[in-house]
Amino acid sequence: MPNSALVIGGGIAGIQTALDIADAGFHVYLVEKEPSVGGRMAQLDKTFPTLDCSACILTPKMVDVARHPNIELITYSEVCNITNGASDFYATIKKKPRYVDTNKCTGCGSCAEACRLKGRVTDTFNAGMGKRSAIYVPFPQAVPLKYTVDPTQCVYLTRGVCGKTFLCKDACKADAIDFTQKEEIVELNVGAIVVATGFDPFDAALKPELGYGIYPNVITSLQFERLSSASGPTAGKILLNGKEPREVVFVQCVGSRDVTTGNLYCSRVCCMITAKHAHLVKDKIHDANVTIFYADMRAFGKGFEEFYDRVRAEGVNYRRGYVSEIYAAGGQTPKRDGKLVVRSEDTLIGKPIETTADLVVLSVGLVPRVETNTLAQILQLTNSSDGFLAEAHPKMLPVDTKINGVYLAGVAQGPKDIPDAVAHAKAAASAAIVRLRSRQSSVASQQ
Amino acid sequence: MKSQIGVYICHCGLNIANTVDVEQVREFARILPNVAIARNYTYMCSDPGQALITNDIRDLGLTHVVVASCSPRMHEPTFRATIHKAGLNPYVLEMANIREQCSWVHSDRTLATLKAMDLIASAVAKVALLVPLQEREVKVTQSALVIGGGIAGMTATLDIANAGFQVCLVEKQTHLGGRVAQLDTTFPTQERVADLLAPVLRAITTHPNIRVITNADVEKVDGFIGNFRATIRARPTFVDAMKCDACGKCVDACPVNVPDAFDANLTTRRAIYRAPDARFVIDARACSFVQDRVCRSDPRCAAVCDRNAIDFSQTENLVEINIGAIIVATGAATFDATKKPELGFGTYSNVITSLQFERLAARQELQSVKDVVFVSCVGSRDATTGNTYCSRVCCMVNAKQARRIQEKFPDARVTVFYADVRAFGKGHEEFYDAVRKTGVRYRRGYVSEIFAAGGQTPKRDQKLIVRAEDTLIQKPIEVSADLVVLGIGMTPRAETNEIANVLGLPRSGDGFLLEIHPKLRPVETAVDGVFLAGACQGPKDIVDTIAQARAAASSAFASLCRGQVKIESATARVDEEVCAGCGLCVATCPYGAPALIARTGTARVNQVLCKGCGACEAACPSKAIQVMQCTPRQVLAQIAVLA
Ligand SMILES: Cc1cc2nc3c(=O)[nH]c(=O)nc-3n(C[C@H](O)[C@H](O)[C@H](O)COP(=O)(O)OP(=O)(O)OC[C@H]3O[C@@H](n4cnc5c(N)ncnc54)[C@H](O)[C@@H]3O)c2cc1C
Ligand SMILES: Cc1cc2nc3c(=O)[nH]c(=O)nc-3n(C[C@H](O)[C@H](O)[C@H](O)COP(=O)(O)OP(=O)(O)OC[C@H]3O[C@@H](n4cnc5c(N)ncnc54)[C@H](O)[C@@H]3O)c2cc1C
Ligand code: SF4
Repeated sequence: MPNSALVIGGGIAGIQTALDIADAGFHVYLVEKEPSVGGRMAQLDKTFPTLDCSACILTPKMVDVARHPNIELITYSEVCNITNGASDFYATIKKKPRYVDTNKCTGCGSCAEACRLKGRVTDTFNAGMGKRSAIYVPFPQAVPLKYTVDPTQCVYLTRGVCGKTFLCKDACKADAIDFTQKEEIVELNVGAIVVATGFDPFDAALKPELGYGIYPNVITSLQFERLSSASGPTAGKILLNGKEPREVVFVQCVGSRDVTTGNLYCSRVCCMITAKHAHLVKDKIHDANVTIFYADMRAFGKGFEEFYDRVRAEGVNYRRGYVSEIYAAGGQTPKRDGKLVVRSEDTLIGKPIETTADLVVLSVGLVPRVETNTLAQILQLTNSSDGFLAEAHPKMLPVDTKINGVYLAGVAQGPKDIPDAVAHAKAAASAAIVRLRSRQSSVASQQ
Repeated sequence: MKSQIGVYICHCGLNIANTVDVEQVREFARILPNVAIARNYTYMCSDPGQALITNDIRDLGLTHVVVASCSPRMHEPTFRATIHKAGLNPYVLEMANIREQCSWVHSDRTLATLKAMDLIASAVAKVALLVPLQEREVKVTQSALVIGGGIAGMTATLDIANAGFQVCLVEKQTHLGGRVAQLDTTFPTQERVADLLAPVLRAITTHPNIRVITNADVEKVDGFIGNFRATIRARPTFVDAMKCDACGKCVDACPVNVPDAFDANLTTRRAIYRAPDARFVIDARACSFVQDRVCRSDPRCAAVCDRNAIDFSQTENLVEINIGAIIVATGAATFDATKKPELGFGTYSNVITSLQFERLAARQELQSVKDVVFVSCVGSRDATTGNTYCSRVCCMVNAKQARRIQEKFPDARVTVFYADVRAFGKGHEEFYDAVRKTGVRYRRGYVSEIFAAGGQTPKRDQKLIVRAEDTLIQKPIEVSADLVVLGIGMTPRAETNEIANVLGLPRSGDGFLLEIHPKLRPVETAVDGVFLAGACQGPKDIVDTIAQARAAASSAFASLCRGQVKIESATARVDEEVCAGCGLCVATCPYGAPALIARTGTARVNQVLCKGCGACEAACPSKAIQVMQCTPRQVLAQIAVLA
């Protein structure tokens, strides 16, 4: 239907855009590459500055998109081609095989229980902090709640045979598992496209001096979210190898505002993420010693400065300084649980200082998704100098692009927190609605 | 007829089942009064879970359903739809929240299981007393009112008009543009703001769907979502725009001089003047003829006007319009720098605000200077002024203006005192880097005092000393300056209360208008059908303002496009036999739903305005008011089984 919209990416931005366009009465195809909608927000524990539980405010919206009569959810799928018509677009969508018949799957999970690789596959949803099976749902509130076989892990799909019998197939009472599934191609004709593909967290291993990947007790802020989440691998307890850390150090601007990584821009959310994490540590481990190394504290949103004040009042130590190195306290060989030393320059007192830590959390920046360039090519969009998708005008047209009818929503255009991503997403929806309605009336007047 | 209740207990994967013994709970529920069937299942909300319910309704003739799972905020709509599909009224459902209020917050399995049983028993006791309610929809007037003609209001107006709806845009001042019209260039692109604004203004004034009413206030708003009625008071300008040929003779004749607020009081203008949009208007408050019917000048403006354009007989005009949605875009004020007397604003003429800097730059009146100091966070992040929040734009405004000076006068020594540089927007950090490369010095420090170098008596153009504590070297320092620019914050407009009262909108702690949910509903308000755009909700730069304005338009589209809107069904009803007409409910209701009916002397609740919050029910001394699905009988039954 040319009087419908295609939304690419089902994070909070894509969800909000889809809901607004659908509420205005237009049909929406929401294409998400993962098995479930939800995006990064589904991975978060609480959200600053209100400390709302992320799942509790997100999952009802996920259910809303699934239930909306005007929205067609196309998950585990990717856009592989777009051609521009006179005033509309033809999109080719590739539906990846789940190897599970979604009409039959009840989401009961017996397949995952039975899977030969149970507890052995790195759980990306848990940011690598836990293990799952080769057949999985990313998280229990996934929408749709249908299992998916991970083709990069499944023994059968990678080696052609899985023991004597398919354990998952045998376990499935609904007979939903179907290894004969093939990729499907869907062609869509739409009048507007909204790109809401979000971001990746900065890869902290690109700053080896910070010890990420070397010391198990140096983790990223995204991992901290999973650690702190009630549905995470430690059921919300801040534990490393079963032990509560006493001294926690947070490092800000990892991969942001940093020429050495090529990311000159500010990621806009990490200051507040760290403030939130520091609060959560203090909340869960009252006598923990929490130190934050920062460059400028950017608490700019509504209620943010007040939250920052509150966190400092809770006894969190803010030190203005640049962290140059993190290493094991004892000596050369990295030990599990070993104390770490964080060496930094405190720019307020102008002296190098060393702080010991049981846990170091790197506040990683937001970077463009790896596949941004491919997508940009498919849509004939350009990137800004920071690598995110470029809007038509940096002041006046934050959601339009140089292609008429293609709009940007959320972090795909540049780092944003949830309220700003939601506002931006609704703005994109408005742009799409205006376009679809004026198409409608011009068609009507021709008839 | 005896009720037949079905109870459905959800495992929520392991979320509930890990802490609550769901099988034991099922057995307990099965023998509760009137319970025909109790089942448990991994995910009740999944399709097969819902199928259990619909099949039982069909096969066992269930009359009421209890779902024990997560919060009703999550899945009440889901299960209402489920039972509706199977032929039951959607409102004969009760949810027992055994996740958020039980399994997620308890760790002891035995106690959590007992609590889940209690919650279910109480839901079962209530559900049988629930009454079927009708889902209701009302028609929507498919046009909108936008209040405030700054960049936010104009952007929202254009989107709504472009989608084919009529929009009325009401602006308090005589011209559109708001704060942005006062600016010279914008960060980080350094474009001329006038160039950015011109196409927007043109689009607004030529659009067939847009009616602009300037020099006006929204005086009254009645009604409810989809069906508002607004009264707008338009003030006269006393100049007939059709006749005026902008010769300007009237201005020369006018004897009154007042500070020009548009120029941030840097200049003065007459009572009759050329407004920023080039139209000639009379400032009624300044004009002595309008005020007292006398004018010292002879001949006065009206006499010198060859075209008889000046018309003192013009009167106020009341306009009434019907609209379905309202967008509030009333913007923000700037911090009054005289509230920080230690910074010398108002004492020294070479201490100016960042807004005055914009006007000087726009008027091309920036004069060559040697030493310039910018002070950040004036009236922001500052408990002494009561404004603890960050104004979000001043860091970048400082950076933009510092760069402007440095580029115009390369020999100038430009210093910026700051607390944290908040360059967070797209391209902002890069801009900040570029500014430092032009030679601008950033010093982290708190400015404590600004005083005249020479001595006590302030002289014009005298050197100033800026005393600050440099927090990087931890020493007090003094920097001399020919010009000090105060980076003033954004504050709620003084008249925010008026507009908040007209619309019944609450304000947040910082004084700006309050959105209903700070994360996921940043433009919606407590009043359905009223949305926020731009700086009235909190400080914002232009691009964030535009995004939010379009977001507000998008929210308005939901009801405007459909022409219909669903409203709450579980509302309050007054038992007129019992009601004593005391009016407490009228005073209590935050939504203005109850009213006293003169004829009967009793209260009646407007079913469309009522949100079912229950405030009136609690307030009513005669117990004449009940909120459907939360009546005393229902709630007491719930409590009774717990006792
Ligand atoms: C550690 C951490 C903590 C945070 N905490 C907070 C907080 O407390 N408060 C707050 O306000 N913000 C917080 N944020 C920021 C918040 O996560 C983002 O604002 C939000 O997730 C942005 O949503 P989005 O929809 O734009 O992007 P995403 O959440 O990234 O969603 C994008 C979606 O698009 C999909 N997708 C990507 N590419 C394609 C493609 N080619 N085809 C189809 N689908 C695709 C992805 O799978 C994903 O589902 C935090 C961020 C991090 C990293
Ligand atoms: C000194 C300074 C420099 C700045 N520089 C930049 C910059 O370079 N780049 C940038 O992006 N941002 C800048 N900003 C921020 C920018 O001004 C705001 O983002 C923008 O003005 C917000 O627009 P708005 O429409 O929400 O509010 P406003 O511009 O305040 O407009 C609100 C409008 O509503 C009208 N109004 C108020 N109350 C009523 C009422 N009751 N009824 C009817 N009408 C009413 C007002 O008269 C006004 O016209 C700067 C701000 C300041 C103070
Ligand atoms: S229930 Fe609440 S909204 Fe309804 S009339 Fe009573 S006080 Fe007003």
